[in-house]
Amino acid sequence: MKKVFVTFSFLAFFLFAGNVANAQCSASELADNCITQLGDGFNFVKSFPVDGEGGGKNKIEYSYVFAKGTEYSINLCTDGDTADGIVVSLYDSNRRKLTTNAANGKIFKGLRYNCNSTGIYYITFTFDGSSTHCGGSVLGFKR
Amino acid sequence: MRKFSLSAILLVSLWACETHQAPSAEAYQAALDSTRVAKPEISQEVITDILQQIPSPLEISVLLKESGTAYNQAMLNDPQKTSVYNTNYEKAINLGIYGTDLGYTNIYEQNQDAIFYLNSIKELADELSIGQFFDFGTIKRLATNSSNLDSLLYLTTKNFNNINAFLQDQKRSNLSILILTGGWLEALHITCQVAEKNPNNKVLIERIGEQKMIMDNIMLLLSFYSESNSSMAAYMKELQPLADAFGKVEIVHTYAEPTFVEVDGMLVVQDNSTSEVIMSPENLKEIASHTQSIRKNIIK
Repeated sequence: MKKVFVTFSFLAFFLFAGNVANAQCSASELADNCITQLGDGFNFVKSFPVDGEGGGKNKIEYSYVFAKGTEYSINLCTDGDTADGIVVSLYDSNRRKLTTNAANGKIFKGLRYNCNSTGIYYITFTFDGSSTHCGGSVLGFKR
Repeated sequence: MRKFSLSAILLVSLWACETHQAPSAEAYQAALDSTRVAKPEISQEVITDILQQIPSPLEISVLLKESGTAYNQAMLNDPQKTSVYNTNYEKAINLGIYGTDLGYTNIYEQNQDAIFYLNSIKELADELSIGQFFDFGTIKRLATNSSNLDSLLYLTTKNFNNINAFLQDQKRSNLSILILTGGWLEALHITCQVAEKNPNNKVLIERIGEQKMIMDNIMLLLSFYSESNSSMAAYMKELQPLADAFGKVEIVHTYAEPTFVEVDGMLVVQDNSTSEVIMSPENLKEIASHTQSIRKNIIK
């Protein structure tokens, strides 16, 4: 009986701990809800969960082919009104840093990029003094 | 004691359940039996990274509509042809083709045609046991009212994203690759058709040449499976002449520092770099011709 109780407690602890960890960051939900933040005329392309695992992960990267003559919007959503220290940076195919939402002494909740050069772009999310290390982002486009 | 153990197992099983309604194990197994492949020699993470780069076919439809090109249903696949697609590979690649056709009809707000394509997608998705990721009821409701265009585009795009994520999670990326390949090929076909009638539309011609990057990615993805799966190898062989034609296209990038301004609380960045496509008219014809013949073989 004792053995079963210990085994069950052990299992339950890990499962419960896993559930708590998931509850801490609803990155997919934040990303999905972020669609409303896309500006007028932008078409939704992808949503990006940004789960820094409570500080355990310091960089999350996605990539997409941007097309010349198209404006892209990358919007950021967190549980609060600010970007909560989530820095989104854009790199070109040569891994050259093109821009970031950390500019003019603040961290913007997104950025728009008027693309003039078709290619693979890397969208990375890092954390600078973030309290939750958790957010969601969406990518949209318009001509 | 036994009751207690069984309860624990039940609890564990319930806890482990996903929130979405997955198909039954038998249905899923049956649907994917013919697509069972040996593991590719590349990590799932790399495959997912490459797959996510493939651009949305909606971008082409928006480009066509905004350049004043009229809607032309004749360019699209026949929505009644679902029954001729027998294997799961054929179903997956044609699901992608129908997905692009649906996006095209949506962008042009052709509601009735959109419903036809939606029905075709539902049929193929159900046969592949991935229909549960498509909210057909809501999409149909949205498609009957053009004022819901934004929601409609969002939902269809999200549903396709969910299907691809599910297939990749299930280590069935080969089907995901085919869905995306079909979607891309159909967008390329539509662009080539329109460009043929508008030979002075430089934007369209350049957009065709730029597809070299996507072509390279698709061939790379197919190559991961080609040694272990004869169907994937056959698709790679089928696409090879098109890849060879794209191989003659040159894309020149010139870097320049971007500039930015703050507009209404948003950071707006201007890319000052440029890209230029170098492609001869003969090369363009070759790409268009291979696109048509490959698509014809695929849609049957």
